Amino acid sequence: MDYIKGCRVNCAWLWIVAVLIGTPLHVVGQHQARETEWPTYAADLAGTRYRPLDQINASNFNDLEIAWRFKTENLGNRPEYKLEGTPLMVNGVLYATAGSRRAAIALDAATGELLWVHGEHEGARGAAAPRQLSGRGLAYWSDGKDERILYVTPGFRLICLDARTGTRIPTFGEGGAVDLKLNDDQTIEPDLTTGEIGIQSAPVVAKDTIIIGAAFREGFTPRSMRNNKGYVRGFDVRTGKRLWIFHTIPKKGEFGYDTWLNSSAEYTGNTGVWTQVTADEQLGLVYLAVESPTGDFYGGHRPGNDLFGETLVCVDLKTGQRKWHFQLVHHPLWDMDISSAPILADITVDGKPVKAVAQPSKQGFLYVFDRVTGKPVWPIKEQPVAVGNVPGEWYSPTQPIPSKPPAYSRNGVSRDDLIDFTPELREKAKAIAAKYRLGPVFTPPSVSQLNGPLGTLTMGTASGGTNWPGGSYDPETHIAYLYACNSCLEPVGLVQPPKEVSDMRYVYGTAGQEVKAIHGPGENAGADAPMPPKKKAASDYVQLNVDGLPLVKPPYGTITAINLDKGEIVWQIAHGETPDLVRKHPALHGLNIPRTGQESYTVGTLVTKTLVIAGESQVTTTAEHPRGAMLRAYDKVTGKEVGAVYMPGPESGSPMTYMVNGKQYIVIAVSGGAYSGEYIAYALPSE
Amino acid sequence: MKSRIAIALVVACAFSGALGAAWGLQPRALAQDEQQASEGQSVWDGVYTEEQARRGEALYQKDCSTCHGDRLNGTGEAPALSGGGFLSNWNGLTVGDLFERIRKTMPQDKPERLTRQEKADVLAYILSFNKFPAGKSELRHQSEWLKQIQFEESKPEREKPSQP
Repeated sequence: MDYIKGCRVNCAWLWIVAVLIGTPLHVVGQHQARETEWPTYAADLAGTRYRPLDQINASNFNDLEIAWRFKTENLGNRPEYKLEGTPLMVNGVLYATAGSRRAAIALDAATGELLWVHGEHEGARGAAAPRQLSGRGLAYWSDGKDERILYVTPGFRLICLDARTGTRIPTFGEGGAVDLKLNDDQTIEPDLTTGEIGIQSAPVVAKDTIIIGAAFREGFTPRSMRNNKGYVRGFDVRTGKRLWIFHTIPKKGEFGYDTWLNSSAEYTGNTGVWTQVTADEQLGLVYLAVESPTGDFYGGHRPGNDLFGETLVCVDLKTGQRKWHFQLVHHPLWDMDISSAPILADITVDGKPVKAVAQPSKQGFLYVFDRVTGKPVWPIKEQPVAVGNVPGEWYSPTQPIPSKPPAYSRNGVSRDDLIDFTPELREKAKAIAAKYRLGPVFTPPSVSQLNGPLGTLTMGTASGGTNWPGGSYDPETHIAYLYACNSCLEPVGLVQPPKEVSDMRYVYGTAGQEVKAIHGPGENAGADAPMPPKKKAASDYVQLNVDGLPLVKPPYGTITAINLDKGEIVWQIAHGETPDLVRKHPALHGLNIPRTGQESYTVGTLVTKTLVIAGESQVTTTAEHPRGAMLRAYDKVTGKEVGAVYMPGPESGSPMTYMVNGKQYIVIAVSGGAYSGEYIAYALPSE
Repeated sequence: MKSRIAIALVVACAFSGALGAAWGLQPRALAQDEQQASEGQSVWDGVYTEEQARRGEALYQKDCSTCHGDRLNGTGEAPALSGGGFLSNWNGLTVGDLFERIRKTMPQDKPERLTRQEKADVLAYILSFNKFPAGKSELRHQSEWLKQIQFEESKPEREKPSQP
């Protein structure tokens, strides 16, 4: 400051020049994102997936052209067919993860030109990772001078790169990397190379703290009732030092430990936060959406309510200490992982302002709380639910069910849900459904029996409702927009596994069929693992479709607009072209069937000043377009479709938008089937 | 000089033709699949053999069924390889497109565990399971041949050339 005092006239000019350049000398703290940028996975730390841009609108959406495209095939040792990323855009540069390497890339946001690429070669540790492929994205941080990119590798290492060059920052962690399998308040078993723990979501940086959760293998058929635990940690963005840890499974003496009876908190694992974290920097609070404990559908080895499984937890940003929590499902048995970002919304309820958090879910409920106190905005009542009779199981006699807003997607199965295009199809569907137990939400899983029931037929579990892409929120109108799978049927039957498959009493399976470990995408199927002896199936496999048609009636996939001030559904539409197999089915010849929407769990919405935008995740061939999928735009007030543009393949990651040099772009990840991963950018034609 | 070389070449060709005829070698007729490739082929034309599908079934149960199901019905995130959704998804593409996807990325944990030939056998089994007809020639393992075979979920209505 002496320098400033000693040169009044020169420094006045310095200030004027600085202002003209637009680089305030007094900037401290984090990069202040402009409305034209997309600085974090969900657009902002509140998880809104919203940008107030309007250059692309209803009058010109149909004119969108592909501005540039980036194939991810060579970013890894083989092409990738499951590109789930949402890129970031800051200062004219697009950052994303991509390829089977989960490389970090930087592209010119106007042209798609590759600026730099960084990949970590993790050998056996990467090959053993439970969540491989390119993941959902990365994080950007800046203090006005230093610019950093942070992401987590499949092998569970946190990497810090210089955003300008893509090279590791040596002063962060060990040479630019933090080994997340260490310093986790547990010993990762059996060893650091093969120990099961990883993550696929994008890390989030709030006020210089990086927040990282954890993910595991698919939980349908766990190898053991014992597993590593999914604690949440905060790290310093400059040094990589661990600042705090939150035990999602409490340790002895911690609050919630006794909700795991028979000391089952000692050995039960999973229960991580694998989805996106949101944060309120002003309040200094972080919102954690926790997944299921070990064993998605059988909890006999973890009796009790199992805090903080399937719980929304609010912790302090600086210390990680729990401020409040609300368990959405007691003693989880339905794989109702809280699957998406808790959305932070400032709303007005009965005339009073509320700083709220709105949690979408697989079960089609939107749970809305005061995000400071944790108090539900509208009553969430403990309702009695059916208790099951699976041997050794423990059941919660009640479950919390929101009174408002109403469920926005199907979360039970009744005969009324069955296909009803024709009476013949309905009769066939009834015959199939008769082999299963039906019931409303929270109908417990059943032991699978050869003579029936084969299991409990469910919706709003596993892949139902809203999944990892999450919802969007418009802070101007206080309306939340939620994509939901409305037809993702999951037959939940339990069978006793052979010892070589699992040490649990029951895992997911069907009576008479060989019990096989269920694998998630990119998971090592264990080439050297001994295969169980092959048995001839004692029963015919029951197809959950009627002559190829979905067992349940449409809509198969929906977008719902919910007014958060009132807790009411404003509109709901079917999203996605009617699938080819429905449109061309001989049994439906001559019938006029309204658009059915498509079944999916990878669709995410983007909200702008006037539009709700979402892509299709199935390809169709119609009179309107050759084989491909459409990126659709809806009027956000009415839900009416106002435009659609062609994508050469199905969307597989949520869209984002930004402006560069006065031009608005929409970028979406496309991959699946025969189409290997590609980021595609759309913009209006140049004048 | 040039004309003598030309005469010598003509004589040599005639001689080898005569030799060929003497040894019973005829000018090679096109193999059935090559003929059909030049005419436009689809999965309805008998593009694999039953024996090949049997080999493919054994390989499928060993290396694919863990993720794709015993009955090609799909599990978790590995999709079904039979039925309306699968057929719809590949309709309009070629057998080569499906083969390339398998060749590059399947089995997911170790694509190199199966040879090209083995992957063609597995694909033959998948076609057989989906009730496309078997024929006299095996499904080849060269992608450029497989790209000539249209994957059509419904049997096309097409005039068959009358046989001589």
